[in-house]
Amino acid sequence: MFLNRSEGLALALPAALFTFLVFLVPVGILLSVAFQAEPGVWSLRGYVDFFSQPLNRTVFLRTLKLGILVAGTSAVIGYLAAFCIVNLPATSRGSIFGLVVLPLMISPVARTYAWIVILGRTGIVNDTIVGLGLSNTPIRLLFTETAVFVGLLQLFLPLMIISLVSAMENIPKDVVPAARVLGASWFQVFFRVILPLTKEGLVIGGTLVFTGALTAYITPAILGGSKVLMLETLLYQKVNVSNDFVSASVIAMILIVMCFSANLVLKRIASVRS
Amino acid sequence: MSDTFVSLTDLTLSYGQTVAVPNLNLDIVEGELIALLGPSGCGKTTTMRAIAGLLTPASGRIMIDGTDVTRTPANKRGIGLVFQSYALFPHLSAFENVAFGLRLQKLSDAQVRAKTEAGMATVGLTGFETRKPAEMSGGQQQRLALARSLVMQPKVLLLDEPLSNLDARLRLEMRNELQRVQKDTGITMVFVTHDQSEALALADRIVLMKDGKIEQLGKPADLYAKPATAFAAEFMGFENIFRVDGTDLVSDTGRLSMGFAAQANMLAWRPSGVSVGAGPHKGRVLASSFAGGHREYVLESPIGQIKADAPIETPEVTLGQEVAFDLPRETARHLVA
Amino acid sequence: MSRLTIWVILGVTLTFLIGPFLIVIFAGMSAGEALAFPPQGLSLKWYAKVFTVESFRASFALSLFLAIFGTLAALAIGIPAAYALNRYDLPGAEMIRTIVAAPIIVPGIIVGLALLRYFVVPLDVTITMALFVTHAALVLPYAVRVVSSSLNNLRSDMEEAAVILGCTRFQAFTKVVLPNIRGGILAAFILGFVTSFNEVPASLFLSGPGVRTLPIDMLSYMEITFDPSVAALSALLAFMSVAIVFIAERLLGFSRYV
Repeated sequence: MFLNRSEGLALALPAALFTFLVFLVPVGILLSVAFQAEPGVWSLRGYVDFFSQPLNRTVFLRTLKLGILVAGTSAVIGYLAAFCIVNLPATSRGSIFGLVVLPLMISPVARTYAWIVILGRTGIVNDTIVGLGLSNTPIRLLFTETAVFVGLLQLFLPLMIISLVSAMENIPKDVVPAARVLGASWFQVFFRVILPLTKEGLVIGGTLVFTGALTAYITPAILGGSKVLMLETLLYQKVNVSNDFVSASVIAMILIVMCFSANLVLKRIASVRS
Repeated sequence: MSDTFVSLTDLTLSYGQTVAVPNLNLDIVEGELIALLGPSGCGKTTTMRAIAGLLTPASGRIMIDGTDVTRTPANKRGIGLVFQSYALFPHLSAFENVAFGLRLQKLSDAQVRAKTEAGMATVGLTGFETRKPAEMSGGQQQRLALARSLVMQPKVLLLDEPLSNLDARLRLEMRNELQRVQKDTGITMVFVTHDQSEALALADRIVLMKDGKIEQLGKPADLYAKPATAFAAEFMGFENIFRVDGTDLVSDTGRLSMGFAAQANMLAWRPSGVSVGAGPHKGRVLASSFAGGHREYVLESPIGQIKADAPIETPEVTLGQEVAFDLPRETARHLVA
Repeated sequence: MSRLTIWVILGVTLTFLIGPFLIVIFAGMSAGEALAFPPQGLSLKWYAKVFTVESFRASFALSLFLAIFGTLAALAIGIPAAYALNRYDLPGAEMIRTIVAAPIIVPGIIVGLALLRYFVVPLDVTITMALFVTHAALVLPYAVRVVSSSLNNLRSDMEEAAVILGCTRFQAFTKVVLPNIRGGILAAFILGFVTSFNEVPASLFLSGPGVRTLPIDMLSYMEITFDPSVAALSALLAFMSVAIVFIAERLLGFSRYV
């Protein structure tokens, strides 16, 4: 009964057309600027110029580094938390899971702002450190890579936990006890049983966290400022301060390529593992 | 024929490039209960959906009550269809489910209520009006689906595997229900099934289908006793089917002398037609199970496994023992390949 | 794993994830003038002040408008698209799906910049219109995905049954399909609302003086003043989001659709 294709296309077309015109075309044009350092001349000069500046290279490497760190850390914490959640009795599982998901519904501005309160010169951490006599003056915690790292971790950890919980729920019920009975230590259980069976969830979570960390704006802006630039905050600077659209487009292109490759690489790792 | 009510002429049905049913010709008589029987993939459901209007034929013609409905859309053919999954509307009460089609017809509220209540009474669901389908048992849901179609007074009622979702006891009840409804209303009914015992029990005529074509068409008794081909025989429960060569039965594993010549090139026996305990052949018992009124044996023989049923009175033969058996001429069914 | 270990791990994780909010909530209750935790004395004056700041009121209204109508627009074209992708065998279905899902993949700041340069400026579109279109485009992928998931759970033979009982295709959609995906549509609306309301990167470039979404307004306020009112506002917004999702979960088991 649903073989009338033209009817179907008519229903789907508005959405596709809308997104195409409003989104794909402008973004496409923007990205093409990355290849046109001189208007009309297609070349890779934009990229060459971009990477020839030490500041840009630093920002690029820093972004990559933080992305990987955040993804890795969230994977470790995520597995622990997910394993705990999955082993909770059903009554508390829902509420705990809800608490984990809750932060995702709240504006990143609010979530990041909290760290200012905590890490600021008169914030909790510094108050504690000075109070305990560990240091005479407040340590600068804000506007450091650590601050950005912590902020990003808090932002994206729930995504990893959600992915891993979902993957773990698909592990057949008695597989872990069976492995234990056969003599496996927890370490072995993790690497030989849990990890292989949840690798898809790990890939999804890893991709979400990595690309999220790469493309986050608010957290690096608030917690890093212009001292700790990431690619996105650099992009904003290029546009609003230097009017350098070519660099901005180059950065945009780099970000997209990085996200895309991360996805491919992680998928490849997942299937090779088996 | 004068009282042909539904006729399918040179009907070809396909999904994309694959032809599911090539050139089907079938005439259904008014008021009959006809079964489309066959294994999955044989085209029976495809044919039913074409009659319903859910599938447009690649070529050919469908006539219902003298009108060419080949191009008529499904909501205007005046047929009813009871889906295998019942397809009840979960967001509506039982009453509203049954009334659904009536409400589309711009009848007055009172008329809708009268017909719906009558319809529910016919299937014995009075009192269930406010229940939601999810709150009803499987058997009740099916009767509700039946009522929903019947109140529309369709010209033809199609049923997709009506009994397969039910347990044994419900199946019997539903069988009687369907027969009663058919007798009371005289509606022409076409049902699709893969279960030969269902078809035998319910149908006035059976259409046995294979690979989109009609393998055999006839009354249940005829199909049961006289299947024409090996496929038909196997489907109707003849478990011992062998090729013939002169006076021997042959298979890939050996030969067995029958002692009589056959005209056909294949012979078949029902398990109940094999005599166990006496006969010119000997076979070792590979399996034996108790089935109430008889015992079911699997015997080893030169031509392969023989499935034989012995009445409960005959002495039991244990596993591994040898027993005499016969494939008598009287119970043999002659087949063409 | 012992119960104790489980609760310790979860305790630490949840403290890390949620602790900061609680801090923000209390920091906003500071009776003093500066942002600090623990707050020096408790007072709700900053929470009250939030409602008096003119720009907050205006940007809140704009964010609300975008969240509600942007999502409605996304649903208006998203529901038919989800239905078509789900029930029909469309040529190029994969391509349509990819196109519609694209806005999620591209970083928001790029979207904002691209739209500003190649949509707003050339076509001389108002900022509000640009924001509206952007938010609708950003919400659309979520709408399609959630509604699709709902449709997947609905067998198509129900629509066939309705048609055989006499419905036209459109009637079958409104009488049978819509009532049964109502939960999914509501979930999609709430997801879209929250996504749009909290959106920052794309709106960053598109916002202008006087026309700002609330998160952007908060960001610029933070650059000038450092009093607890931002904390209070953050806390209020957090409450609002949480309340919406909580009510949705109660009403229809929201988590099923996401």
